[in-house]
Amino acid sequence: MVAETIVKIRELTKIYAQGEIQVTALDHITLDIAAGEFLALMGPSGSGKSTLLHIIAGVDRPTSGECLVQGVDVTKLNETQLADWRNQNVGFIFQTFNLIPVLTAAENVELPLLLTQLDRRQRRQQVEMALEVVGLGDRAKHLPRQLSGGQEQRVAIARALVTDPKLIVADEPTGNLDSHSAQEVLTALQSLRRDAGKTIIMVTHDPKAAAFGTRQIHLEKGELSA
Amino acid sequence: MTLPTFIIKNALRNKRRALLSVSSVAVSLFLLVTLQVALRELTLPVESPGAELRVCARNKVSLTNPLPARQRPIIERIPGVEGVTPFTWFGGQYQNEGAMTFAQFAMDPKETRRVFTDFKLSDAELARFQTGKTAAIIGKITADKYHFKAGDHITLNSTVYPGALEFTIAGIFSGTADDRMMLFHQDYLDDSIGTPGLVGMWWLKVKTADDMPRVIAAINQAFANTAAEVRAESERAFQLGFISMLGNIKTLIASISTVVVFTLVLVTASTMSMAVRERFRELAILKALGFRRRELFVFILAESFGLAAAGALLGIGTAYVAYTFGNISKMTHGIFVSFEVTPRIMGLAALVAAVLGVISAVAPALAVARTSVVDGLKTLD
Ligand SMILES: Nc1ncnc2c1ncn2[C@@H]1O[C@H](COP(=O)(O)OP(=O)(O)OP(=O)(O)O)[C@@H](O)[C@H]1O
Ligand SMILES: [Mg+2]
Repeated sequence: MVAETIVKIRELTKIYAQGEIQVTALDHITLDIAAGEFLALMGPSGSGKSTLLHIIAGVDRPTSGECLVQGVDVTKLNETQLADWRNQNVGFIFQTFNLIPVLTAAENVELPLLLTQLDRRQRRQQVEMALEVVGLGDRAKHLPRQLSGGQEQRVAIARALVTDPKLIVADEPTGNLDSHSAQEVLTALQSLRRDAGKTIIMVTHDPKAAAFGTRQIHLEKGELSA
Repeated sequence: MTLPTFIIKNALRNKRRALLSVSSVAVSLFLLVTLQVALRELTLPVESPGAELRVCARNKVSLTNPLPARQRPIIERIPGVEGVTPFTWFGGQYQNEGAMTFAQFAMDPKETRRVFTDFKLSDAELARFQTGKTAAIIGKITADKYHFKAGDHITLNSTVYPGALEFTIAGIFSGTADDRMMLFHQDYLDDSIGTPGLVGMWWLKVKTADDMPRVIAAINQAFANTAAEVRAESERAFQLGFISMLGNIKTLIASISTVVVFTLVLVTASTMSMAVRERFRELAILKALGFRRRELFVFILAESFGLAAAGALLGIGTAYVAYTFGNISKMTHGIFVSFEVTPRIMGLAALVAAVLGVISAVAPALAVARTSVVDGLKTLD
């Protein structure tokens, strides 16, 4: 069975113009990502990894080119459509400070559900399930500062998957973690792909982290290299 | 969790700051209400019952120039005049107070009922007042303040005439627009330290409202081109003349109020900016999760509005309770009597708070709307 293509990128270019100086962050990128892949996006600092990830996830816009996610060209949606699209189709995990400090783990996970039609009971069920998946069912009432760095990132993973999106994007999710916590987070991501069939795009500097992926690609000065 | 709980948790995340900003709104609005209530009371026209039928006649040169007593029969003969009494400022100080705390006027007690229809005074008290030469009647506010009662002897040092006079309190009146003054016999003043043949002003009552303009014109005409020209006007016009002298105080209070409001806007706006700025990154994450600009604006607006509303409730509420149930007349030694916190003033303060809540939210909300997710994420990274 040939997996469907979930992300289809064509000639994607992003140029930052600052006065006279132009920085080409992405230079005519063409890339397909299949559903169910765990893609590790690697490359040196400043190579355009975050920029690419942001465009795919619908929080940044390219200068030119196409980026279709599940058949929708996200570059053509307006701000409001994009917000709704993100809520329904993408889960985000950032490197640090993912969580709102005044909300408990469960409340943080619940945030994206506040934008849905689900009632309170349904939301609670979804939240409990998501926290179970990342092995934090017993930490629902904890505030972010009462959690370890690894646990915080796993709460972020729970929040990313609670709306059941097909695509999860993570920008250096283990960048600030010790190797043990990193291991926990990567294992959790891995099982999301394996058990729930999610497509995961993860930016990382760390080859050991990248090894958890099913495919690795490298960016170099805005261009893909083998 | 619901959106309102989320907003409340956000607003209370820095409890000390929330408390400080609520307090600063509360204190400022308390001050604003106080100023407005004071302003209202100072500029409130003294509407005493019967005022529409009373005429005040004073020396055309100024209020402090006296009038000759011989003008009285001429005024009395003018058709439409029902009663006339002299009204002479005594300027007495009680004991060693060093300041005048209530006004005293010398007049003709026989005319009391005829001219001052609004006085509440028993017939017995009035009779005592009219018969005793040193007798005086005194307003209830002053009587209460000094615990005066009928039969008391009090001595007042005049700041106008040389020396002091002793009075016997014959009765205590109420029901006038200003139950503070004291009235006593013009004869007593003339026969002791006063200047016989001169009075301060004339107060008179006309029979009907229709008589008023004609009587005023007649009085003014009667003494034109004499040594003591007279300016007669309705009691209301006379009072308004006093109020216009308060014009400067009015401007002062109005400008202090403006400064209070302006400072308040600066304080709350900067508080909100700070509160939002320090969670720019969080707001960017919310955006990434699918929250729209509109929703983030509502969060910020609700928080700002909530702070202003809490402050308003506290500040306006405290003012209302304090001025409604506190004894303002006692606290201000009778300078302010009613100090009424009217619905209009409370409404004004609430409106200021509401506008404040909105204005304070605008700049931070615009900043958030203008910041893309990517830029927002970079803050604090
Ligand atoms: N807002 C911006 N204005 C101008 N240039 C920018 C902006 N954002 C990114 N760039 C530039 O675009 C290039 C790619 O940036 P990007 O953040 O995608 O790199 P990265 O691969 O994620 O790096 P890192 O590993 O350090 O996170 C860099 O050269 C960067 O300086
Ligand atoms: Mg990056």
